[in-house]
Amino acid sequence: MAEIKVENLQKEFGVGDDRVVALENVNLAISGHVFVSIVGPSGCGKSTLLNILSGIETPSAGQVTITQDDREAEPGYVFQAARLLPWRTVMDNLLFVQKERDDAARERCQRYLDMVQLGDKVDKYPGELSGGMQQRVGIARAFSIEPDVLFMDEPFSHLDAITARSLRRELHHMWVQTRKTVLFVTHDVGEAVELSNRILVFAKGGKLKDDIQVELPFPRDPSDDAVAITKAAVLRQFEELDLVAS
Amino acid sequence: MTVTVSRAPAVRQSGWRRALTSPTTARILFPFVVIAVWYWIYYTIDSRIFPTPLEVLEFMWEEITLTSGVTYSSVATNLYGQFGISILRLTIGFAVAVILGTAIGLGMGLSKRVDAFFHDPVMAVLAMPALVWALFLGIVFGFGHWAPVLTVILAGIPFVIINVREGVRNTPKELVDMAKSFEVPQDKITRHVLMPSLMPFFFAAMRFAYSIGWKGLVVAEVFASQVGMGWTIKFWYDAHRAKGVIGYALFFIIFALALEKLVFDRLARRAFKWRPQLGAYELAEGDFAGVAGEGFLLEGDEIGQSVQVTGMEGNTGNG
Repeated sequence: MAEIKVENLQKEFGVGDDRVVALENVNLAISGHVFVSIVGPSGCGKSTLLNILSGIETPSAGQVTITQDDREAEPGYVFQAARLLPWRTVMDNLLFVQKERDDAARERCQRYLDMVQLGDKVDKYPGELSGGMQQRVGIARAFSIEPDVLFMDEPFSHLDAITARSLRRELHHMWVQTRKTVLFVTHDVGEAVELSNRILVFAKGGKLKDDIQVELPFPRDPSDDAVAITKAAVLRQFEELDLVAS
Repeated sequence: MTVTVSRAPAVRQSGWRRALTSPTTARILFPFVVIAVWYWIYYTIDSRIFPTPLEVLEFMWEEITLTSGVTYSSVATNLYGQFGISILRLTIGFAVAVILGTAIGLGMGLSKRVDAFFHDPVMAVLAMPALVWALFLGIVFGFGHWAPVLTVILAGIPFVIINVREGVRNTPKELVDMAKSFEVPQDKITRHVLMPSLMPFFFAAMRFAYSIGWKGLVVAEVFASQVGMGWTIKFWYDAHRAKGVIGYALFFIIFALALEKLVFDRLARRAFKWRPQLGAYELAEGDFAGVAGEGFLLEGDEIGQSVQVTGMEGNTGNG
């Protein structure tokens, strides 16, 4: 079982008068097969938190541990932009991140590409695909290494609303099938309610303001009344929090 | 709802009219304009030494078929001998410039200290006219292979260095970060991320080094050699035969264009097949780097964004 522990995490950028606090004394514990969304306004440190968890950035103070059954957990990533190698085909992009480039890996990659409905596009180059398709490849790539923990940084924010909606559905079904531990950064509260068990709310200045449990059964239908009612309730809760003032 | 269109759609141009105004026609038209202007000058200046295009072609044909009766020297008696020597010198100089320039460029792109060490000397070499290299190296090494080969290296190497350095600096950081977060080993990142992203810059570097090197070579052969294409042009200059000068200049323009089309374009097509937008016309635009890579601003256009090499390129054509 994957476990993420964040203790007294602090992150600052710059020095002296230019010092900006991105995360302030954040404490978190996430365990099990949960889909956790991190929500907050721009500049609340949500992407920074993800970057620290994924090792791209180092914390100024505090401790982060990500384990899977007492060993170091293997992470997978989906970024805001698809970040595909333009000079490699769809299949080669997936194989690029595999530990072994054997038949099993190829089969696994094919399976996840099928899941995102791109099974017939394996020989295409990213430049030949639409933005939505590229992001699908990015999602398949993250799933294809069968990670213990999956980090996603606003993966649908660059897409148009209709494409984003269909990808969100796909992601939801993939998650229901695989039940990975997911950390999902978004600024869209509705999206968070639709996808997650738990929503962590950050305010400007990098403070963790709220920790909301979403008690809805899976799979969820976004047009379902229960989902809509929960969305409204969470939004009301949001308005009571003062997220923008730091 | 009903929408009524009251105005007829714009009349489409007829087939022949479109053909006449197409870029291809413009391209084909150019040589005809040159020939027309040439004849106009010929009949205007009334000079006994100014040749007609036909005379030049006749001269070139005689050189190709070895029927001109001219024996140049004991080392290289005819066109093929002269050409062979020049190409050998160019190839060696070009290879050294590309290999050494790539190594230095990589170092400069990856390390600030290496960059600081080489920056000023590279700019100085870039600012030095090839003519000066040719004269200086001719004095130092005499009339052998050294002066022309070294001139090719020194004329071409700054362009390789600068392009490769820019290429390394332009490595997409987000792709490197992506690879690192997926824990892809460094050697795999170098091979699959760094090298491919460097390729457009490397191709631009090769084109510059080749075209600038060619010009450096000819200048060096005029002043510091007793064989080669440059020397042969000088031979016809001394003999006061303009058709020889123009004819030999045309020989290497044709060679440069052929190499551009048959080697560089094909390599580029293979290396950039992942770029769906790379059409035939765009590739054809690359031609100009091969023959006109001289001047203050040079553009390498393998990728959407252009590589601008700013610097004071010595006026290599004035030899």
